[in-house]
Amino acid sequence: MTDNALELHGVDMHYGYVRALDGIDIAVRQGEVLGLLGDNGAGKSTLLKVMSGAHQPTNGEIRVHGAEKTFGSPADATHAGIQMVYQDLALVDAQDIATNLSLGREILRKGLLGWLGFVDHKAQRRRSTEEMEKLGVRTAAMTRPVEMLSGGQRQVVALARGATRVFNDERNGILLLDEPTAALGYEQTQQVQALVRRLADQGVACVLVTHNLPLAMAVCDRITVLNRGRKVADIPAAETENDHLVGWITGARPSMFASEEAA
Amino acid sequence: MTVTIATPRTASAEKDKDPALIRWLIFVRDRGIFVLWAVLLIAFSIWASPYFASIDNGILIANAAALTAIFAAGIAVGIICGALDLSIPGTAALASCVCGWLITHGTPTGLAILAALALGGVVGMINGLIALRGFNPIIVTIGTLSVMSGAAAGIAGGYTISGLDSLVFMGTDRFAGLPAPVWITAALFAVLTVFLTRTRDGIRMMAVGGNAEAVRRSGIHADRYKVLGFVISGFCAALGGIVTTALVTEANPAANVSIIFNALTAVALAGVSLAGGRGSLPRVLVGALILGTISNALTIKGVSPYWATATTGLLLLGSLAVEKWVSTSVSRRLVQNASASVHTGTR
Ligand SMILES: Nc1ncnc2c1ncn2[C@@H]1O[C@H](COP(=O)(O)OP(=O)(O)OP(=O)(O)O)[C@@H](O)[C@H]1O
Ligand SMILES: [Mg+2]
Repeated sequence: MTDNALELHGVDMHYGYVRALDGIDIAVRQGEVLGLLGDNGAGKSTLLKVMSGAHQPTNGEIRVHGAEKTFGSPADATHAGIQMVYQDLALVDAQDIATNLSLGREILRKGLLGWLGFVDHKAQRRRSTEEMEKLGVRTAAMTRPVEMLSGGQRQVVALARGATRVFNDERNGILLLDEPTAALGYEQTQQVQALVRRLADQGVACVLVTHNLPLAMAVCDRITVLNRGRKVADIPAAETENDHLVGWITGARPSMFASEEAA
Repeated sequence: MTVTIATPRTASAEKDKDPALIRWLIFVRDRGIFVLWAVLLIAFSIWASPYFASIDNGILIANAAALTAIFAAGIAVGIICGALDLSIPGTAALASCVCGWLITHGTPTGLAILAALALGGVVGMINGLIALRGFNPIIVTIGTLSVMSGAAAGIAGGYTISGLDSLVFMGTDRFAGLPAPVWITAALFAVLTVFLTRTRDGIRMMAVGGNAEAVRRSGIHADRYKVLGFVISGFCAALGGIVTTALVTEANPAANVSIIFNALTAVALAGVSLAGGRGSLPRVLVGALILGTISNALTIKGVSPYWATATTGLLLLGSLAVEKWVSTSVSRRLVQNASASVHTGTR
């Protein structure tokens, strides 16, 4: 398979004596939504942090579009076209939606003022509105500070920030989502689901961490299950069912890779 | 990339205008202090008539508030950017003594002032670089406060440096009817306000104070902006020190720690959250003006100055209560009509 957007081979991650990840092989193709399931502490967030450059793996290699990469920082991963939406959102509460979406890629005014570093708030607001529209999500007025948004609206803003950045990338980007629906009600979960699906249909590779099994079954092409830092299942969503997944998550069902493990 | 998307709309989230109540609450939070000042001015005009409501008295108030405002600007920028800079009195004393020493040793006045201002920036940079190493900025700046008051005393030889008459153009001189400190304060606040709200670096600096991690994840060197906050704060401190010197035409090496409390009161009155990331300099300026207004009116009426202190304290507590009320009302509103079922506010 050469169309893998992101591949990890034999990734180990140790936090001191804690083995958070143990020999993980994982790949996600362009336009594919890969679901990452597992119990609390299984290592899902850790794996995503390795993919996003926030953590350096103890062992193992990372390939982006086939080329081996080492990420020294999130900026390196961003440069390679990887965007992450964090479980803790990381928004600037006191600033408005447009400023949050524009952070790091501000639009400057024309002429002397631009040279002095003056920001064109109007243009940023316009661009943010367009981008949100393009993603098919609505939250609140672009001038509303994030601290005055509800949990769900914040989630949408955080998601939009990541999504617009992979969209704007020349190549098809890679979007990593850590429990994007954890704080959402039914309707907005549906909205996020549709958004992830649409992004994938545009060719974006998505990795989705979630505890929501129905969501995973509905939106993912393929599902990987982690159990205590090991990969215990990797299967197309169409070929599995809820009970099997629950079994792998809890450890009641033996690993698909049991023979390898013994070796 | 051409993207065609069927756009599903959620009816409940369908709004581009904020509801009137939320806009009103935001108004109270953002502009309440201006209203408060207006109310005080009207009340004092009646109570302390006819002496209070005159142009001369207005200028007096502005002049008295100017120094507090300059130091408050330094404190506010520090806090907005995420660190309370307590070294300000030390920086002010050092800048004052360096400026005085240079002038008495034959340096042209303009050059001496520039050198002292630059020194303030350097002190800020040192504070920032130490704080970046993971030390608590409060402790770091208390340390530099002591170091600098020591250095100031060393330079001044333990005495005040007097006879700095060439500085009066920054002190008691008037231009177009207004005392120099008023002009300096106005210029400082205009520049800083524009910087914080209109420029990329200023906005990023505020963002760093609010959530440094979010800024870092956007691929921005957040640390540089933290240091920049300290540099600006050090610059304001040096400026305040020089203006103080200019007003009395002598440089005093003793760090006057009480300026922190006045400045901090003005800053807190302006609703600048100690958690960082929010605050507006025009409000800080009005905060300083309110302090000046109260003490001026009470002085006119012959009330002892400690009542001014007590009144300010009460106002401060009152403003905290209003802020708390606004933020809880907003979150309650949001929970009621939000499209999400869970509200995950952090405060
Ligand atoms: N910074 C850290 N230092 C030490 N141990 C850590 C650290 N971060 C995570 N761990 C440990 O690594 C393991 C995996 O954690 P991780 O956060 O990846 O789990 P998760 O699958 O995302 O769980 P959840 O569903 O609760 O988010 C856990 O045992 C956790 O205690
Ligand atoms: Mg997690």
